Amino acid sequence: MSGWMGKIVAIDLGSRERRTVAVSEETRRRFLGGRGLGVRLYNDPCPDPIDPFDPDNALIFMTGPLTGTTMTSGRYQVVSRSPLTGTICDSSSGGTFGAALKGAGVDGLIVRGRAERPVYLAVQDGEVEVRDAAALWGLDTQKTQKAVQAEISSKASVACIGPAGENRVLFAAVMNDKDRAAGRGGMGAVMGGKNLKAVAASGNRAVAIADPAGYKDLTARLDRIVDKNPVTGKSLQVLGTSVLVNIINAHGMFPTENFRRGVFNDAEGTSGEKIAETLLERQSACYKCPIGCGRTTRTRTKRGEGPEYETAWAFGANLGISDLTAIAEANYACNELGLDTITMGGTLGCAMELRETGAWKENFRWGEAGRLLDWVTDTAYRRGVGADLALGSKRLAVKHGRPELAMQVKGMEIPAYDPRGAQGMALSYATSNRGGCHMRAYMIAPEILGHPVFLDRFSTAGKAELVALFQDVSAVVDSAVLCRFLQFAVGISTFAEILRTVTGLDWSEEELMRVGRRIYTLERLFNIRAGFGRADDALPPRFLNEELQTGSSRRRRVGLEPMLDDYYAVRGWDRNGVPRPQTLAELGL
Amino acid sequence: MDGIIKVQFFGLLRRRVRTAAVDVAGEDVSVLTLLGRAEKAAGGRFLDELLDREKELLAGTIILVNGENIRLKQGLETRVRAGDTVALFSPAGGG
Ligand code: SF4
Repeated sequence: MSGWMGKIVAIDLGSRERRTVAVSEETRRRFLGGRGLGVRLYNDPCPDPIDPFDPDNALIFMTGPLTGTTMTSGRYQVVSRSPLTGTICDSSSGGTFGAALKGAGVDGLIVRGRAERPVYLAVQDGEVEVRDAAALWGLDTQKTQKAVQAEISSKASVACIGPAGENRVLFAAVMNDKDRAAGRGGMGAVMGGKNLKAVAASGNRAVAIADPAGYKDLTARLDRIVDKNPVTGKSLQVLGTSVLVNIINAHGMFPTENFRRGVFNDAEGTSGEKIAETLLERQSACYKCPIGCGRTTRTRTKRGEGPEYETAWAFGANLGISDLTAIAEANYACNELGLDTITMGGTLGCAMELRETGAWKENFRWGEAGRLLDWVTDTAYRRGVGADLALGSKRLAVKHGRPELAMQVKGMEIPAYDPRGAQGMALSYATSNRGGCHMRAYMIAPEILGHPVFLDRFSTAGKAELVALFQDVSAVVDSAVLCRFLQFAVGISTFAEILRTVTGLDWSEEELMRVGRRIYTLERLFNIRAGFGRADDALPPRFLNEELQTGSSRRRRVGLEPMLDDYYAVRGWDRNGVPRPQTLAELGL
Repeated sequence: MDGIIKVQFFGLLRRRVRTAAVDVAGEDVSVLTLLGRAEKAAGGRFLDELLDREKELLAGTIILVNGENIRLKQGLETRVRAGDTVALFSPAGGG
């Protein structure tokens, strides 16, 4: 079977029972792999949504048909029900772990049950072994990876949790290949709930390619396109993602002090340009990636990865902090403890506004860089104020009586673009299946960066079609699985071609878009069963009622409801956001 | 005496011209004219990062006049006046 290793293993950590899950060619055609297949298998058999910490909640590690093949294909997706949002969730991570899993002869793992004592999984030669992890429990992510490699093989790629995941912090990340994170949605907490400390994979099995000659031509062409493209061939390499700091700030939509303003006066000091001049040691890259958007950095006393754009913002402008060293070291700490930096920063921003309004009497002050590390560490161990911070902003704000001060959608913190500055991005946040996230439909590309076309960011017209389209393409790329940054250089036709040469199966562009739509709709169906509806496709009232006062997005608010009506119509969902029977029939759901 | 228009450089452009901003003399000029003057003021060529050979804006280039994208105005013919700030960004991406 070209593209796939042909083995998905389901394992119950409680009973230690394991079986191989057969997936038909038809299902692979309809859901690809990664996110799509993960969500499909999560829903099989169509379960009543259960508590994310219930042992029966499946935690799925899934690769795609392209994993381990061409550039940027080291990625994998983690799929489960999120303890942070209660939605279906998939979280993506780079590095090499995805490729290593296939090298070990396995396309994916479905983990259920709860181990009595801490364990880790070792995947080699198509077999999954459960090993004792008592000695690993309590270690940070870096030490865990080293210890597992010492036991298995120095070449093993290890995905693991740190103390945050062990303590079930609701936004704990799964970390792999040192500092790569499946960050969003608390997949690390689900892992911790299962007493699963790590998954290690090693092996040299090759992915079979259906059309080697066509594949070779195509990848040579892809190399040239990516190299010649100014974003993938230059900007991301030299300046990383934080090049966006100055751009988004100049558009007056760089969220400052918990989204109260859109201009951060000290943005320059936390920008990609500044990082390149100061902390940057070298660029770093995932498996077979010629782009290498990662940043290996060092401060006077520490060394690590990041910050990338979202983190430079989450611990920077969002908290009124411009001390780049403090931001980088908080980032390193999150990597070591296994925490999602966006939700961590979003929650701290909420805490600071709660304090300022007098709703929470703890000593959180804007701009206080000196305590950042303590707050992050306390969160991972749920001690002191960290016990509340570990809940994420939504629960924190509700607990202190000011729910409107949490900048979240469906319980997930909104990242580094104020939706008042880009109406399409606002709709994208509101309709994201996993909550306030920018990765379902990255409308910043057309609305700010002019890619692939330039759109008026303040207009709501036509945004619904485009958001739906972007959501569908993204679902395809997340299921293939390739890195989303390739989208700056190539479109759906290229993804269809790569899929064809690797798997030997043919998808027309239209069929592939339908695959994306099917995945998006299946996720939506789960959320509806879990009780989500139109009322949850919402934004915090700040964005609907308060205008930004300064900068080039001033006097703007989000006009959500009309766009939402358009969006449901485009999607073939009814007024409450429920897919119509005819829509489901068209998608074969 | 002409007034001053501030031209700021970001991203790769800044590494190319090796300065974050220059002041350009001008009262009421088009963006295109301003860019020519900015090249002289910066003392180094950079227009090829922003424009193609036909002097059209390259895809992904962002030029803001007082925070507003010239693509939503009159493009390179957009007028710039003394006291305005013009921000130039070479194509960039991230997430
Ligand atoms: S572009 Fe960046 S995130 Fe994507 S595969 Fe390359 S290094 Fe990893």
